[in-house]
Amino acid sequence: MTPAPAESGPPEVPTSLRHTPLVDAHVALGAKLVEFGGWEMPVAYPSGTVAEHRACRTAAVAFDVSHLGTVRVGGPDAFDLLQRTLTNDLARIGPGRAQYTHLLDDDGSVADDIIVWWVDDGWFDVMPNASNTSRVVAALGGTDTTSARAVIAVQGPDARARLEKVAPDAASVGRFCVSRFAWDGVECTAAGTGYTGEDGVECAVPAAAARSFWEAVLAEGVVPAGLGARDTLRLEAGLPLHGHELGPGISPLQAGLGWVVGWAKGDFKGRAALERERAAGPARSLRGLLADGRQPPREGAHVRSGDAVVGRVTSGNFSPMLERGIAMAFVDTSAGVDVGDRLVAVVRGREVPVTVTKPRFWPPAAGGAAVPSGAGGS
Amino acid sequence: MLVPDDLRYSKDHEWARPAGTTVRVGITDYAQDALGDVVFVDLPAVGKVVSAGDVLGEVESTKSVSEVYAPVGGTVVAVNASLSEAPEKLNADPYGDGWLCDIEVADADAPSSLLDADAYRRLTGS
Repeated sequence: MTPAPAESGPPEVPTSLRHTPLVDAHVALGAKLVEFGGWEMPVAYPSGTVAEHRACRTAAVAFDVSHLGTVRVGGPDAFDLLQRTLTNDLARIGPGRAQYTHLLDDDGSVADDIIVWWVDDGWFDVMPNASNTSRVVAALGGTDTTSARAVIAVQGPDARARLEKVAPDAASVGRFCVSRFAWDGVECTAAGTGYTGEDGVECAVPAAAARSFWEAVLAEGVVPAGLGARDTLRLEAGLPLHGHELGPGISPLQAGLGWVVGWAKGDFKGRAALERERAAGPARSLRGLLADGRQPPREGAHVRSGDAVVGRVTSGNFSPMLERGIAMAFVDTSAGVDVGDRLVAVVRGREVPVTVTKPRFWPPAAGGAAVPSGAGGS
Repeated sequence: MLVPDDLRYSKDHEWARPAGTTVRVGITDYAQDALGDVVFVDLPAVGKVVSAGDVLGEVESTKSVSEVYAPVGGTVVAVNASLSEAPEKLNADPYGDGWLCDIEVADADAPSSLLDADAYRRLTGS
């Protein structure tokens, strides 16, 4: 047996890995650590990715997501700077709210996808992907405060009830709202955001208090979950991952994320290219693929309609809730592929039959024929 | 990691349990732990003839996919079909319910060329 990555990608050979304030806690829990975006992070705890995934769908889990960057942008010009740099329109929200947005390259490619926490007047915490933090600092300026804090994401249908026992002011933060809370005498920030398709709260806690906060959350019966479950959860929920569904050559319009673009506001980086693409119509679009069986279509697999290659898989894995292979893929617009069509993904030479869906698998659509009834009840 | 004394092992982390002219084959505890949660197993067809080192099938987890090699040559005479719906048996019981297939060997001495338990423990640092 020769273990090999299931998904192709450029090999990364990091020279020195960064660690979050919780690394000792992960080791004590028996986590398996892997390199991700320049950080050494838990991929799974001893219960395993599938059990962690199901715990998030049915109860509550906690992720250490301290590897996400925090770039603090402040001052009287901060609003205008963000408006002309990022795609979404901050005029749609206000202080105490969070917004999903993109940083584009001049060609309309998504250089990063970002959550902006508008913490207070003139105070924005901009949260890029781990490996894109320096790119975002280059575009926005601001101060990289990543190493000063941990970010703990408590997610799942029971997340707020469990978190309430630890930090009631964090547990009550609204969906896509941001609020300050005190915990054990330190000032923290909570946001009603996440990356799982479940309700939940992300808590930014000063580094020195991070471990005791994490352990207080786990003491309420919240299950620690690693990056493995984070990836299967986001895929099942149809949430894009930079480097897969977003990245060089991929615009928000191709990824089905036109709602992230504030067309009604003024100019922003990449706008001209995006307007040209909107006028012409995107050449490809993101689709879901639901396999008939358990074998996942994997990243890089060609997608065929008859003999013609019509697309390529960007992310694929096993869905612990549907107990079938699922994937997201870019499919050429010219192929005229619709939801419900039958295609084939070619996975390491084997033909895996799939049904085209919207790029979202959970929660199952009401009456959705593509989803087996009764699946994932465990 | 569990390394039963009565089995033979390949350097590629397969185990072999001889019983007469038939050898039962699976992947080791070390292998299942390295893979993480197994979600799909591709088994060989019954009747397939393999040489030692040939690809027997694939074991796929949430994070990786691995080829499984035949630790001994011969003919596949049985496969653990229950793995197609319950591949998690590979994680839960790699030396028991998680077996992969039975190979009828032409040379009954073939398993003796594999590693014994002590040698496999040294290989894996178990």
